[in-house]
Amino acid sequence: MARTIKILLAKLGLDVHNRGVVTVARELRDSGMEVVYIGNAPPHAIIKTAIQEDADVVGVSSLAGAHMTLGKKLIEAANKEKIKDRTCFLMGGVFSPADAKKMSEMGFDGVFMPGSTKEEIVSSVCEMVSKKHPE
Amino acid sequence: MGKEQGKRIKEILQERARNRKNTPLYSTKTVDGLRQKFNEWKETKVSEKDQKDWNVTPRTILGSSISRELLYTPLSNPNFDYEEDLGFSGEEPFTRGIHPNMYRGREFTMRQLAGFGSPEDTNQRMKFLLENGATGLSLLFDIPTIQMYDSDDPFSAGQVGMSGVCVDSVDDWHLLFKDIALDEITLSIVTHFPSNTAILLPMYLVLAEERGISWDKLRGSVQNDMTMEELVRSGPEYIPPRDCFRVQCDNIEFLRKNVPQWNFITLNGYNLREYGTSGVTEMAVALANGTETLKEQLNRGFDIDEIADRLAFFWAPANDFFEEIARLRAVRRLWYKLIKYVFNAKRERSMWMRCHVQTSGVSLIQQEPLNNVVRSAYHALASVLGGAQSLHVDSYDEAYSVPTEEASLLSLRTQQIVQAETQVTQVVDPLGGSFYVEALTNEIEKRILDELDEIEKAGGYIEALEQGNLQKKIVGYFSDEQRAIEEGEIKVVAYNTYKSSYEPPPINVFEYPEGVEEQQKAKLADLKAKRDNKKVKAALDALREACKNGDNILPYSVQCARVRCTEGELFKVFKEAFGIWNRTILM
Repeated sequence: MARTIKILLAKLGLDVHNRGVVTVARELRDSGMEVVYIGNAPPHAIIKTAIQEDADVVGVSSLAGAHMTLGKKLIEAANKEKIKDRTCFLMGGVFSPADAKKMSEMGFDGVFMPGSTKEEIVSSVCEMVSKKHPE
Repeated sequence: MGKEQGKRIKEILQERARNRKNTPLYSTKTVDGLRQKFNEWKETKVSEKDQKDWNVTPRTILGSSISRELLYTPLSNPNFDYEEDLGFSGEEPFTRGIHPNMYRGREFTMRQLAGFGSPEDTNQRMKFLLENGATGLSLLFDIPTIQMYDSDDPFSAGQVGMSGVCVDSVDDWHLLFKDIALDEITLSIVTHFPSNTAILLPMYLVLAEERGISWDKLRGSVQNDMTMEELVRSGPEYIPPRDCFRVQCDNIEFLRKNVPQWNFITLNGYNLREYGTSGVTEMAVALANGTETLKEQLNRGFDIDEIADRLAFFWAPANDFFEEIARLRAVRRLWYKLIKYVFNAKRERSMWMRCHVQTSGVSLIQQEPLNNVVRSAYHALASVLGGAQSLHVDSYDEAYSVPTEEASLLSLRTQQIVQAETQVTQVVDPLGGSFYVEALTNEIEKRILDELDEIEKAGGYIEALEQGNLQKKIVGYFSDEQRAIEEGEIKVVAYNTYKSSYEPPPINVFEYPEGVEEQQKAKLADLKAKRDNKKVKAALDALREACKNGDNILPYSVQCARVRCTEGELFKVFKEAFGIWNRTILM
C-alpha cells in the first residue's frame, strides 16, 4: 500500500493483561505500520487521542469481561465525534464467539478472538483501511 | 547479618558446593564399565539419525527450551549422591518434599478461585465450592478493585463485578463472608500487589475484628507481590518501585507480628510466567524478589528464622510434563540452599519452599475447549508429582470468560480425581531417582541460579525492574513465542496440528449478573452519607503522614478500614504521598 497506516492501540479501561496488545503492536510495527500504544484508557479518552493522532485504525484490547460494556461506549463516542466513517475499529481479547458476533454488529470493523494470527490481523487491517480510504 | 558482604548468591553457593559430601551412589568402576556398554549400544543399536539427534529441544507454550537426551541412564548423572542431592523427604536438602509423609499426612489444598459480580454472588460460589469438597478458598477481585479504583470511579464504569468480585469497603467483606466461619477456613486473598494488599487485607482483618475473631486464628495468604504491581500488569497509574517494595515489606512486617498464621507473600511466579516467560525465568525473578525482601526484613530487625517460614511461592505449571515436575524439585532444593547458606537459617521450617500452583491459563485455547480439561489435568498431575502444597486448576472455558459453575466444578473434580483415584499421593516423590528427572532437576536448578545471578549482576531485582531489563526480556520471549506458535514450531492440538473441520457443540459461557455496578454505587453513596467523615479524613491524613515519614503503614490502613474508608480513597493517599512512577510503556 502507498500510505503508512497509523494505528492507535489501547487497553480498554482498566484491564491488566497486556501481553496480547504488546505482541500485536510489535507485529504491526514490523509490518510497516505506525503504531501508537497508549496503555490503559477509558473509551472517551481513546477517541480523543485517536482524533489528536489522526489515526486510521483504533485497536482496543479487552481480556477482563468489559468488551461489551466498554466496546459499546467506544463506538458511541466514535459516532458522537463522527469519526466512524474514516476510522476503523478493532477489538481483540478474550470473549466468546457469540460476543464477537455482537461486537461486529455493534460497529467494530474487526473482532479478533484468542488464536488470531499476525497474518489475519495485518491483512484485515490493510483491507479495511483501503475500504475506508480508497485513495 | 544474613548475607556475606560483596559475594553474590551464586558465588556463595559455589563455594559451599566445594564442601559437598562425597558419598556418590555409583562406584567409578561400575560407571566406567557402563559407559563402555552404553557406547557400544549406541553405536550398534541406535540408528544414525537418533545418534545425530541424540538431544532434542522440545518447544511448547511457556517452555524453557532445555534439550533432552533420547535415553537417560546413570551416566546422565554419574556423581549422583543420594544424601547430598536428594536426602529423605522432610530432610535437607528437601528435594523430595518438605514433609516426611507429604500427601499421606496432608493432602494438597484444593483451592479453586471464586470471584465475580457482587459480594453476595461470590459468597454463593465460595459456598458451592466448599460444599463440593474444596478445602481452601481463593478470592479474586474485579479489575477496578485490583487496580484500586472504587466502583463509582469514572474509570471503573462498565467493569464492576467482571472477572472478579467488587469490593469497596469493609461492608462488602461482611457480605462476602456471610455464613462462612473465618476461623475454620484458609483463605487466599488474591491481592496481587503490595498496594492493594495494604488496602484490602486490613478490611479482612477488621471484618474478623467485628466478628469477634482474634487475628491469631486467621489462616491464609496474600499475594503482595511487587512483580505483579510494577512489572506484569498494565495500569493507568503506578507508584514508584522503591515505594512499592517498601509497602510489600510493611505488609510482611505487620503480618508477621500481628497475624502469625498468615502467609504474607506469595512470590511470582505464576502471573509473570503467564505474562510470557519460561519456567526458569519465572523462578529466578521470584527468588530475586524473595531474597531482596528477606534482606530488607533482616534490616528491619527480624532474625531469618523469625521471618522466612511464612514466605510462600506461586507457580504456573504448564505443558512440559517432566519439566514441570523437575522444576518444583529444583527450586525446592535451591531455596533451601539460599536460606541455609546465604541467610544462615537454623530452623528447618525457614528452609521450606512452600507453594501454591495455578495451572497455566495461556496454555488453554478457545478452539475445542473441552481439550483444555485434558491439558489442565496433566498440569495438575505434574504439580502433585512435584510436591506442591495447594492447587487451583484452570477451567476449560479459560479463553471465553470467568468459569461457569460446571467448569469450576470440573476443575475441582480434576484435583479430587488425582487425590482419590490415581494413587500418586500414596508414595512420596514417586519420580525421585528417575535418571531423567534427576538430570532435569539438576539442569533447571543450575539455570535458575544462573538467571538469578544475572539479576544480581544487573544491580538486583528492584534495579532490574526499574531499568526495564526484566520487561525487555519478557516482551522478547512472548513475541518470539507467538511467532513460534504461528510458524508451527510450537504445536497446539486442534489449532495448528491435528486440525480438522470438526465444530464441537458450543459450551455454556458465563454471563455476568446484571445490575452490580448500580447496586455498588448505591451502597457507596449510602456508606459515604452514613460514616463519620471527620474520622475518615483523620484516618486518611494519618495514613498519608505514615507513608511519608516511613512508619509501617498497616496500622493506619487498618484504622482507615475501620472507619469505612473506601479502597480508592487509600490508593489516592498512596499516589499523593509516593507520587506516580513515570513508567515507560515498552513495545
